[in-house]
Amino acid sequence: MLPIRNQHNGSLTATGRILSLMLLGLFVGGNASAQSPQGVPDISRMSIEDLMSMEVTSVSKRTQRVADAAAAVFVITQEDIRRSGAASVPQALRMVPGLEVARIDENKWAIGSRGFNGRFDNKLLVLIDGRSVYTPLFSGVYWNIQDVMLEDVDRIEVIRGPGATLWGANAVDGVINIITKPAQATQSGIVTAEVGTEERTAESVRYGGKLGPSAYYRIYTKYFDWQPSIDATGKTAHDGWDAVRGGFRVDVQPSKPNSFTLQGDLYHSNYNETLTIPSLNPPYSSTFPNDGDYQGGNVLGRWNHSFSRSSTSLQVYFDNTNVVDNSLFTDHENVYDIDFQHDIHVGESQELVWGLGYRSIQDSNGSSSTVSLQPSHSKLNQFSSFLQDEISLFDRKLRVTFGSKFEHNDFTGFEWQPNVRFLGNISKDQSVWAAVSRAVRTPALTEEGLRLNEAVVPPGSVNPPNPTPFPVVAAIFGSRQFKSEDLVAYEVGYRVQATKSLSLDIAAFYNNYTNLRSAEPGQPFVEGSPVPTDIVQPFVASNKMSGGTYGIEPFAEWKVRPRWRLLGSYSYLQMDIGKNKNSLDPTADNPSGQSPRHQFYLGSLVDLPKHFEQDISLRYVDRLPSLNIPSYYSLDFHLGWRPGTHLELSLVGQDLLNSRHLEFIPEFINTTPTEVRRSVSGRIAWKF
Amino acid sequence: MKYSRFMIAVLLCLSLAVGANAQSSDSPDSSEYLIKAGFIYNFAQLVQWPSTAFLQADSPIVIGILGTDPFGGIIDRVIQNKKLEGRSLIVKRLKRGASVKDCNILFVSSSEAAHLDEVIQSTKGMPILTIGEMPGFATRGGIINLTLEGNRVRFEVNIEASKQANLNISSRLLALARIVPQSAEAKRSE
Repeated sequence: MLPIRNQHNGSLTATGRILSLMLLGLFVGGNASAQSPQGVPDISRMSIEDLMSMEVTSVSKRTQRVADAAAAVFVITQEDIRRSGAASVPQALRMVPGLEVARIDENKWAIGSRGFNGRFDNKLLVLIDGRSVYTPLFSGVYWNIQDVMLEDVDRIEVIRGPGATLWGANAVDGVINIITKPAQATQSGIVTAEVGTEERTAESVRYGGKLGPSAYYRIYTKYFDWQPSIDATGKTAHDGWDAVRGGFRVDVQPSKPNSFTLQGDLYHSNYNETLTIPSLNPPYSSTFPNDGDYQGGNVLGRWNHSFSRSSTSLQVYFDNTNVVDNSLFTDHENVYDIDFQHDIHVGESQELVWGLGYRSIQDSNGSSSTVSLQPSHSKLNQFSSFLQDEISLFDRKLRVTFGSKFEHNDFTGFEWQPNVRFLGNISKDQSVWAAVSRAVRTPALTEEGLRLNEAVVPPGSVNPPNPTPFPVVAAIFGSRQFKSEDLVAYEVGYRVQATKSLSLDIAAFYNNYTNLRSAEPGQPFVEGSPVPTDIVQPFVASNKMSGGTYGIEPFAEWKVRPRWRLLGSYSYLQMDIGKNKNSLDPTADNPSGQSPRHQFYLGSLVDLPKHFEQDISLRYVDRLPSLNIPSYYSLDFHLGWRPGTHLELSLVGQDLLNSRHLEFIPEFINTTPTEVRRSVSGRIAWKF
Repeated sequence: MKYSRFMIAVLLCLSLAVGANAQSSDSPDSSEYLIKAGFIYNFAQLVQWPSTAFLQADSPIVIGILGTDPFGGIIDRVIQNKKLEGRSLIVKRLKRGASVKDCNILFVSSSEAAHLDEVIQSTKGMPILTIGEMPGFATRGGIINLTLEGNRVRFEVNIEASKQANLNISSRLLALARIVPQSAEAKRSE
């Protein structure tokens, strides 16, 4: 359960605080480039954009910039989203170094941080305005239901590496924090409409207003309909989807030390896919068009209170998710969560943060002949607490943060996740940071009670051999013995403002994983009575993989001219993950080949005269050897025109270099991946 | 489930207890005015005055602070030894009713809220960038109003008022601003 550290409205807490908390150092260094030796930022060196990103901290003289932390942090701003032409959150995430973002089909994504990418990636924690959208079913994220009104996003903060001390179990390889603007900031109406060559249409409306002298609201609704793309043979695929959603947010600050937020969303989405499931009769598998839908809603309330030397935050939310896959599985989840957090400034140089949290999860599910989960109803309780202290030393030249999360869950009991982080200022323009942390990935419901029929080996088959007269079902089973996966991460980073216009940020890591999931063969058994129908060969979830990953992620920003910015990043990832000696897991399936070793991103953002904007980005993604996916380059283009304060027109081209390409092949559930096509779309936004 | 109810009860009690000790958060060491001083320094760079606004090519840019000064010495430190296109910057503190005609930038403190219309009237037709930090400052005829959004500083711009003052605000600044219209009332008083 997650403490409340990403809210941003409120008189004192803020996302920057995440950073301030977790990442220790926030600003000893503050902005390495704009900080005088006394630790007070040299405000005159900051641009107006920098100033707008700074937090006003009412309890301390210190101000902090999100990007200056003892962790690998990347912030996608509203401006970045707008100028990238991204139509969804996953598309916006493609610019982040160290992340792997691959589209499986129109409505499925594989998104990972620093390796282990997959549709069911379980090492990345995603939050929307403080609400965890991590499903306990497979410890991952349903990317196709996580959507927001993109115009209302303030920023998306991406932290690569463990954030478990503050965020809790499952923030193993990264945290993605989607933060929307407070209602005060959206006090106007906006209508958008979009059409494109992909036969995509999208419309959205938002309106904001005042409820009282210090009470603001906004409401929004959005709808999109994406027609199917194409499969590997060039034929129209069965992967369209549509979604309608709406929501509201109210922010009230009745008196200076108190602020309240209430927000909620409702959504409904239909999706199509092509599914292959094993069968006991010839030809022993069937491939067919399958449909399903997602619906749900959430409501969240938060109270922030500030004192002269400390601040508190209390957050409560309820989240309901219903997934109905017509041929596979149904799942209904209710999550109730409450978190309390208290930040205390001790003297001039210490900040202490502690928190308590409780989360209750109710899950009920329905099975098919392919997938089943035992028990069909479950209730889980998670308790957590954390404590972290941040100390400035040597005239704020060194900042040390240490602390731990203590968590209790129904699967593995007690877990602790400590970290220690250092941030040092070498000079006015340079800082270095280093961190050692432990994080765990706790088991998901499926890892305890799943049965998934993966394939059927026909009777008499030679390869793989089946000498019996019965079909053999290869099935993946969960296990009550499955334990948490463990990570100890070692990270270092360096930031420099090399010249007034050039900055560089490098992060490097070595991650040491133990108890990673493997699938160990179990004792075969016969099914069917009284007449046997098949033999089941179980592969049981176990913890017999381990190994290390390492990588380096440089990022540079160059303001060539006041109206021209260049961005560049490179991500290198090496994964040496293997089965332990005592593992009998026969699958060749190895996470090492599912994440690109090399990726780079180059972006150019130009402000042209007459209120035109022209932005180009080029991405390279290395091949995925174990999935047989070749490397690819992708060129995106955005031309925007804002002739007045009310109207914005944009033209977006995506994947312009290739007519089509494949990005990923999903694991576990055999849906047919489809190809990303070159596309052009136009968009109009009217503000009133 | 007993345990969880217990936890919730503990959390609620805790937060209430904490709430009962509430004090004002009007902490004097807020960073708010450090950031606002940075904004003002940036505005000075992103706004163009007509040449008539200055006596000579090297005349300083005069920042007037009208009413109770919320900056303390912060703004003086921020602009100290700075030059913008050959002009240095100086800060003048003005009492209510003092002449503002020598100012290029006039920061109107919230202490002047009750006299806002008089202040706006006193700058009429002069190339003075008026900056305030009170609700309605820009709609009532001020040019830039600094606001707090959550705990970040934002600003509103009244483009009509800037045109009347013969000031040219860069489009970069306008792109980041919330543009607000002049209220009908303020128009009538012209």
